[in-house]
Amino acid sequence: MKKKITMIILAMFLVLFPAIIWATGQAEKGPVKLTIAGRDGGYGKAMQIAVDEYMKKHPDVSFEVLKLPGASLYEKVVIDMKNAVGTYDVIMIDDPIATQFQKAGWLTNLDELYKKKGLSLDPDLISTAVKLGRYPYTDSGTLYALPHVGNVELFAYRKDLFQKLGLSKPAKWDDVLDAAKKIRESFPDVYGVVFRGVKGNPIVAGFLPIYWAFGGKVLVNGKPALDSQQALNALKFFLKLKQYAPEGVAMYNSAQVKDALYGGKAGIVTEVWPSWVPKLNDPNESRVVNKVEVTTHPGEVEKSSPMIGVWLLGIPKASKHHDAAFDFLQFITGKEMQIKMADEVGLAPTRDSVYKVAKLVSKYPWYPVQNQALKNAVGRPRTTKWSELENIFGTYLQLALIGSMDPEKALKEANAKMKEVLE
Amino acid sequence: MKKNIFYYLIFAPALIVIVFLTVYPIVNVFHMSFFKYNYLSDTKIFIGLKNFKRIMGDDLFHTAFLNTIVFSVVATFIEVSLGIFLALLFYGQFFGKRVFMVMIIFPMMLSTMVISALWKTLYHFDIGLLNYVLRSIGLKPIGWLINPKIALFSIILVDIWQWTPFAFILIHAGLNTIQREIFEAASIDGANYFKTLIHITFPILSGQILLVILLRTIDTFRIFSKVYALTQGGPGNATETLTYYVYREGFTYFNLGRAATASIYILIVIAFISYFYLRNIIGEESV
Repeated sequence: MKKKITMIILAMFLVLFPAIIWATGQAEKGPVKLTIAGRDGGYGKAMQIAVDEYMKKHPDVSFEVLKLPGASLYEKVVIDMKNAVGTYDVIMIDDPIATQFQKAGWLTNLDELYKKKGLSLDPDLISTAVKLGRYPYTDSGTLYALPHVGNVELFAYRKDLFQKLGLSKPAKWDDVLDAAKKIRESFPDVYGVVFRGVKGNPIVAGFLPIYWAFGGKVLVNGKPALDSQQALNALKFFLKLKQYAPEGVAMYNSAQVKDALYGGKAGIVTEVWPSWVPKLNDPNESRVVNKVEVTTHPGEVEKSSPMIGVWLLGIPKASKHHDAAFDFLQFITGKEMQIKMADEVGLAPTRDSVYKVAKLVSKYPWYPVQNQALKNAVGRPRTTKWSELENIFGTYLQLALIGSMDPEKALKEANAKMKEVLE
Repeated sequence: MKKNIFYYLIFAPALIVIVFLTVYPIVNVFHMSFFKYNYLSDTKIFIGLKNFKRIMGDDLFHTAFLNTIVFSVVATFIEVSLGIFLALLFYGQFFGKRVFMVMIIFPMMLSTMVISALWKTLYHFDIGLLNYVLRSIGLKPIGWLINPKIALFSIILVDIWQWTPFAFILIHAGLNTIQREIFEAASIDGANYFKTLIHITFPILSGQILLVILLRTIDTFRIFSKVYALTQGGPGNATETLTYYVYREGFTYFNLGRAATASIYILIVIAFISYFYLRNIIGEESV
């Protein structure tokens, strides 16, 4: 009896084992399914447009698109790539954190894939945006990610109010302060200036164009440099500006800034991202149709210093579909797709030629300015510790903003904390 | 002996699950706390007790610890007090009792993120309903989430709104198990309402109340989602809490050694609180 059972088990094993091996092989050869870890909101909509278009042309490829908030996306991709699980085939990467992924060696070398396919990088892609996907951060660094969303920080003001007050486009930050004061005094229902004041990334992103224009530096030779006179001048100016901002500006994030802008409550917005303004001239969404000028930031002791904040697309090394993922990357960063995504959801292009498409320029009159800003933009420091540094900077900036700490002390303490992190 | 083996065999599957899902992670966290371990860069250096020293000397950790204690004590005290008050109120009979009961329980059934989004709108300094009401009656608006002296209490208020029903339900259930004859006998003996409350109701309910205090203390000590959704620890560091500190160290900076060390401090405090309450609830010998 025992012999019989052993024989049956052995026979089953001999039949099933090759069957399993064959089935596994079939699964790899079968239709490709790409899993994309991307962002939510407008970015998610744009990704879906690209995916739907790609599937029309490649019915053999299917997709799973994860539309995640920024923090959740970061956690998921880090854990997945660190353990080389290979769940994701394409990932969206915020440019300051790309350095971590590149240094850790978690991303596929795109230069090699270009070579393998006999292709080359299209020079139409704007070089400042492309550079963010390279490591080291130089024009000749190895390419690990392609620029997908050409975000660059812009500046907006109500040209109708400026006209009424006899003001011209601010050339310096002092002109901004003067204009904010006049708007607040002349139009009680309109805030002179609006920006993001939430601690961490929002307040830092809002403050950096001012900080850089005043000559401030975050890191010099890899060491924090917040304890300079230039940094103090910038922060003191920021606090002067705050007098004409909403009282609750410390809790203003993108939603509140957009509400103020679209609702006609903001005279000046010191931080505008392209994804915030696609419906600015849509009468169904905006009360300020054709009343807002979107332009570049003023300078001060330094020239205009818009901040670049590109979303990149990379292929994790552990992905099982490098070729298919690379093909999709070529498709989504191609001219045709960038025009479609810009037109339908206002996604900021990363190609020079797309900024010159007449249909888009008439819809988004600030495109020539945005294109210039993107080409001259300044990137945040390339360090693997940026998340920590930004959080420290953002916390102390907010303490100064709400008056809990004087500006000099805030900068000194932030500088000391940053030093600890970098040691 | 055979009986013992039988019990152990029955107990074994549960024990294995507990060892893998509870004991192993705790041991692993203890192990990690002795390392400078950055998950991103994959650097893991043994540093002994340096993480413990560093965290004990970290101002932000002190603030987070103090805020967590304040949050836990104030929220638990008010939630349990209100829960007792409501349970006593609903012990009597009145018109519409069932409808009111459902209304009171409603906040507890909602997701914390939904509740936070709702309260964030209510608390908005410029366009929030609360400040609109204050302005319309001639009062100054309050910086519910932007004033560092008020922000923590604003989050406590949201927790009270959400979790008082939980205290109410448990105490109400306990109250309904007391035989009504006891109250009738006390009344015949001449005891008034407050004497009955202090000498009969509360002593009988003490176990139930202590259990509610224990559960709410542990839960409020782990406060995370409301802070994450409402203030992200701000303004400044006014609403930093221990779990938010651990989250940031662990999942934003991926400093797993430091996150593990901070978790151990939380574990120690929760274990101490639990021991204290359980000793009172179950009795000293059983603990």
